[in-house]
Amino acid sequence: MAAMKAFWNSPVGPKTTHFWGPVANWGFVAAGLADMKKPPELLSGNMTGAMCVYSALFMRFAWMVQPRNYLLLACHAANESVQLYQFNRWYNGPATPVEAKDE
Amino acid sequence: MATSRLQALWNHPAGPKTIHFWAPTFKWGISIANIADFSKPTDVISYPQQVAVTATGLIWSRYSMVINPKNWNLFSVNCLMATTGMYQLSRKLQNDYGGEKAAIAEVVEKNVG
Repeated sequence: MAAMKAFWNSPVGPKTTHFWGPVANWGFVAAGLADMKKPPELLSGNMTGAMCVYSALFMRFAWMVQPRNYLLLACHAANESVQLYQFNRWYNGPATPVEAKDE
Repeated sequence: MATSRLQALWNHPAGPKTIHFWAPTFKWGISIANIADFSKPTDVISYPQQVAVTATGLIWSRYSMVINPKNWNLFSVNCLMATTGMYQLSRKLQNDYGGEKAAIAEVVEKNVG
């Protein structure tokens, strides 16, 4: 109960922008997870690569910012993992050569 | 005179020696990546990802104006993110649900563009 109250009133809690901005960024993690099953040729190397650099930088940012933002840190750590995995899938391409489709 | 001003910028607590500078600066890279993908066929566009880009862009645009001090760099980068996200979404929606004409237009764009 006391912990919940502390969270509610925290300087990075749900009454502040320091909370809802990072919550919005979890959307990238959700999107990455949703795309896990997508065939690699349908992934965008540009976007995934940019996300990898972006989340690495923002992990550091979340650590150094005042007040320290653990929610943002967790979000970008998760996104970094997901995006690195997707980037690797994109980079390696399909397991077997894709036959050209005649339609 | 110019040197000391440059030095002040260089040594600023949110300046180029710090993450407070590079993290928001690199966020422009997401929009640039998205713009680079404008000419890609719509099948490499991901609905969940572009919704996330658009939603993040819109939410952070608002919040960058609510924080103290206002952060115009953060505001502009997130505006661009929301814009590129919405454009990519409209491209993909048109291709998937726009009917035959829209699909033909995309194929033409793919082969000619």
